[in-house]
Amino acid sequence: MTDGEAIILDAVVAPGHDGAAELLVTLRHPNGGVETVALDGETGFHLMKSCGVSSAAELPGQPWRRILEGL
Amino acid sequence: MYDVVIRGGLVVDGSGEAGVLADVAIAGGKIAEIGQGLAAGRREIDAAGRVVAPGFIDPHTHFDVQLLWDGAAKPALEHGVTSIVPGNCSLSLAPLKAADRKAVVGMFQQIEEMPPEAFTIAFDWTWEDFAGYRDAIAKTLSVNVAPLVGHSVIRLFVMGPAAQERTAQPGEVAAMQDLLRECLDAGAVGLSTSFVDVDETGRPVPSRYADSAELDALCAVLGEFGRMLQVVPEFYATDITIARIDQLAELSLRHKIPTTFSPLFDSRGNADNAPRAIARVEEQFARGARVWPQMQTRPIDLSFSLLRPSLFFARLPRWVRVLRQPLAERIAALGDPETSARMIEDAGPDGGLAMFGSLVLRGGDAAPAELTGQTLAQIAEARGQGCARTLIDLSLEHGLDVAFLAASLGHEDTDRIGPMLAHPLVHIGASDGGAHLASFATYGDTGYLFSEFVRKGHLSLEAAVKKITSDTAEIWGLQNRGRLAPGWAADVVVFGADALARGDERPVFDMPGGGMRYTRDARGVDTVLVNGEVAYADGAYTDARSGVICT
Amino acid sequence: MSLTVQRRFVTPMADETLEQLAGRAMPDTPLPEATTLIQGWNLHIFAMRKPRGLMLGSDVVFVEPPLP
Repeated sequence: MTDGEAIILDAVVAPGHDGAAELLVTLRHPNGGVETVALDGETGFHLMKSCGVSSAAELPGQPWRRILEGL
Repeated sequence: MYDVVIRGGLVVDGSGEAGVLADVAIAGGKIAEIGQGLAAGRREIDAAGRVVAPGFIDPHTHFDVQLLWDGAAKPALEHGVTSIVPGNCSLSLAPLKAADRKAVVGMFQQIEEMPPEAFTIAFDWTWEDFAGYRDAIAKTLSVNVAPLVGHSVIRLFVMGPAAQERTAQPGEVAAMQDLLRECLDAGAVGLSTSFVDVDETGRPVPSRYADSAELDALCAVLGEFGRMLQVVPEFYATDITIARIDQLAELSLRHKIPTTFSPLFDSRGNADNAPRAIARVEEQFARGARVWPQMQTRPIDLSFSLLRPSLFFARLPRWVRVLRQPLAERIAALGDPETSARMIEDAGPDGGLAMFGSLVLRGGDAAPAELTGQTLAQIAEARGQGCARTLIDLSLEHGLDVAFLAASLGHEDTDRIGPMLAHPLVHIGASDGGAHLASFATYGDTGYLFSEFVRKGHLSLEAAVKKITSDTAEIWGLQNRGRLAPGWAADVVVFGADALARGDERPVFDMPGGGMRYTRDARGVDTVLVNGEVAYADGAYTDARSGVICT
Repeated sequence: MSLTVQRRFVTPMADETLEQLAGRAMPDTPLPEATTLIQGWNLHIFAMRKPRGLMLGSDVVFVEPPLP
């Protein structure tokens, strides 16, 4: 993790509009702003793989850019 | 003598005023009189102990295709819904050139999950223009229809395949304006657009390629008619929703039109979302803009099978590792005693009872039909197994084609959602009736409003009726509907105040070609009249075809 | 009632690339940094969309992080 980039604060599973499970990832930006983004199954699993974790519980603390890496 | 007299019910007229015991007399398809001791009718309906209310209006549906063979939009009508708005989310079935049918069918299949046979054996394509579609459905309507025209199909009609490739040239925008004007003249109640939807290949639908100038030009035409703009925003992200609210507000103010966006969800994982959006809506209404957020009543269920990896298991590392494997390897791993034993360890010392026990077997797939609706705990007990073991074994026994449902995991907190539904600027809607056929049932949200929010004290009976009748009609500009008053259309629902509810979700195979959909029966609805004729009574649909295109 | 301040956004111009949009929206920020920041503030376009990063005329593109 580096200063000056958004990090994952939390990641919880929730149902999406279509009934499929989504990962609600809460990011904290360097300015203190917080936002929640909903990742679909493919992107959510990609994030976990990119972070080298097998549980969403291990995502907090990871940098936001892991979401984009390798997509 | 009146045509119909509904006698002795608690008349809740849609105004929000307290209900009164009275008779309702109907003549010529309209409410003739409301009072006590009215003269006889050719048909008398005993409503003693029942509520008599205006028929409910559903402002967000996708019944466009189904209406071509089912003018009742089943099961909407039996839930007391007498008027529906199809054509949402940028998609309608007109105007549509014959050459573009395949493209639009793909979009409908993506959004509605309608089986292919619905488009090949259930009806004849007899139209290209909006008036032609209107006439095609009007012949056999039991329910009233207030159709939107979709931005994506307007774009496709004018631009052809380029509609999904680029922004429009000025001449094309002008042609779209002319086409929209023609649709509004033919009975469309507004324009729908989408910032979210994709076609069957995952490509954004045509409306998403429009720039703000194009949407502004189309809203100028809506302004000529004072009609509605409906949009689907990126509802999963609050800041984007607020940006869309601001865009809609500018369009509303500039062109003096109502706008609505749907859906707006509440979620534990993003608890600020709905409150922030509603606060922005309040600010924009204070400026004079009309931006109505549509909120659904029903909670969101989560469903999955082991056929595809689901994030439902995102906190179970061993399950994640197995389920992310390709299908053949996944099946082999699930069948490996050592691997499955470790997965079951992950599920907790109770064998997965707490984690999986309340999952419901959905049915409509490869699982034995007799298990439909049972919880995994019930099935596990009958098999003499733990819940996690049962989930794995049952899935393996049926090629993994076994769907499970975790009920009410989103938009489920009644104490939070109740006050939002009661908010004067929140529009109850977003049912999506007739869409997502193979994913979940989009019916019975009106019943759920009463069973969950009225009977638990969040809205009065009168306020709830007003919300889904006269409020809806006023927001959408539907003339003479949504109230029980002399001279108004006799759309009426008679129901039990303590009984009105939705039934359990269940699979049925009543789509063309035997296609499956999930549905819910109505509970507590006795009689439904559409324009003065009894369309549903005593648990059965009648032959009445009194629905109209309403504007 | 006056409007409260919300997160700033722009909409893409016809055929505009990410780099062009970043240069337009954040002219005082070095381009590589600006493009990275725009991506991180707009995961709905750069993570969730197929094809990834396809900008559409109807998009909301944030040009600053969420407000604190």
